[in-house]
Amino acid sequence: MHRSFYAGLILLLLLFPTGSARAHALLDHAEPRVGNTVATAPHEVTLWFTQKLESAFSTITVTNSAGERVDTGKTRVSGSQMAVSLRSGGAGTYHVTWRVLSVDTHTSNGSFAFQVGP
Amino acid sequence: MSLHLLRAGLSGLAIMLVPSSKSFAHEIVGNRFFPATLTIDDPGVNDELAFPTVSSFKTGDDPSVRQRDFSGEFSKRITEAFAVSIGPTYSHLSPPGGLTGMGANGFQNLETTFKYRVFKDPAHEFVMSVGLDVEWGGTGAASVGADPFNTYTPTVFFGKGFGDLPDTLSWIRPVAVTGQIGYAIPGRRSTTTVGIDPDSGDTTTDTEFHPRVLNWGGSIQYSMPYLKSAVVDLGLPDFVNRLIPLVEATLQTPVSNTFSSGTMTTGTVNPGFIWVANTFQFGIEALIPINRQSGTNVGVIAQLHFYLDDIDPRGIGRPIFGDASPPATPFGRN
Repeated sequence: MHRSFYAGLILLLLLFPTGSARAHALLDHAEPRVGNTVATAPHEVTLWFTQKLESAFSTITVTNSAGERVDTGKTRVSGSQMAVSLRSGGAGTYHVTWRVLSVDTHTSNGSFAFQVGP
Repeated sequence: MSLHLLRAGLSGLAIMLVPSSKSFAHEIVGNRFFPATLTIDDPGVNDELAFPTVSSFKTGDDPSVRQRDFSGEFSKRITEAFAVSIGPTYSHLSPPGGLTGMGANGFQNLETTFKYRVFKDPAHEFVMSVGLDVEWGGTGAASVGADPFNTYTPTVFFGKGFGDLPDTLSWIRPVAVTGQIGYAIPGRRSTTTVGIDPDSGDTTTDTEFHPRVLNWGGSIQYSMPYLKSAVVDLGLPDFVNRLIPLVEATLQTPVSNTFSSGTMTTGTVNPGFIWVANTFQFGIEALIPINRQSGTNVGVIAQLHFYLDDIDPRGIGRPIFGDASPPATPFGRN
């Protein structure tokens, strides 16, 4: 009884690996890294998600400490990766807001900040 | 009161007072992912399957009885905001549990929950739902305490993430709380049993009153996935970044028709963690009774839970009517 239960449990875990390609697209990591400080203002922000994205409905916006948009407005999507170029900026806190539509039609959104400065 | 009836009443009361081992929905609200909690319901409305949920604990009976539950639950969205779930629970009571004192096995009454999400605010990570849980009387085994009458529990659920706190409190942003308040209304006020006293031969009557019970509880959670994706990426191992440590509390307070039960609050406080993958989660918690009437030892509950909306978003994981997942925040604002 116990042996068959654990065998079934392991089988279920194997059937649903953590890296499944079908799920809500959630932010896996970013460059610059979420909440971290970089010495100079980056030329672009790149986000990696937990699954592939639909380019038509996936966007990134970046604002500086004054609340002004500093992204160029053209989000590039490739697979599970999304990036946007930035105009030159100074030190301070930058806020990144993202919205994505994954290939399985789920939508999700989120935001984070990073710092530029010494 | 006869020993037979006393045992039946006590085991029924004890089973009513122990945490339900059903499973509950997950929910995404803005930045916030609310996992499916193990012992209380949360405000989520979704397509999912919890199987198995296993728990083991010693009841608050006198003498105490070891109870092991094995359960599952399937939840299906009818529309994007309305879902129906159904779940059986199989119980094993060790001696001296059950009507004969020799232990017992059997299903608890089948439960069906209807839940509707009434409000969702992604910016403030707040969500609220209302629901009605129906325990179908007579569908379970009396030997494990299943009542022969229906019980109806209208309930309010809420969830709130702290992601809208200012930057100075950014380390608290991964915290979220969820809660529920329900009012269990038995379909029968009392049960009277007529018997014959073996010594005198006189007719005896025993009446058990079925109380109305306030079912309340909550959880406080610290989301490592939230910390990594919305506050600060500390470069921790992936296993750690998928953990949500939490403490749940599930409590029951009889509030009316309490002649048999008394009005003492019982329940458990349940620390543990949930580990979240893309299409499933695994959770395990301790069940710590808050008083003698709630149990005599620390128990344990564990659960494997599948997100059907992520596993099969175009099939079983989508609502029967309407859009599968409209944007939490409409596109086109930029």
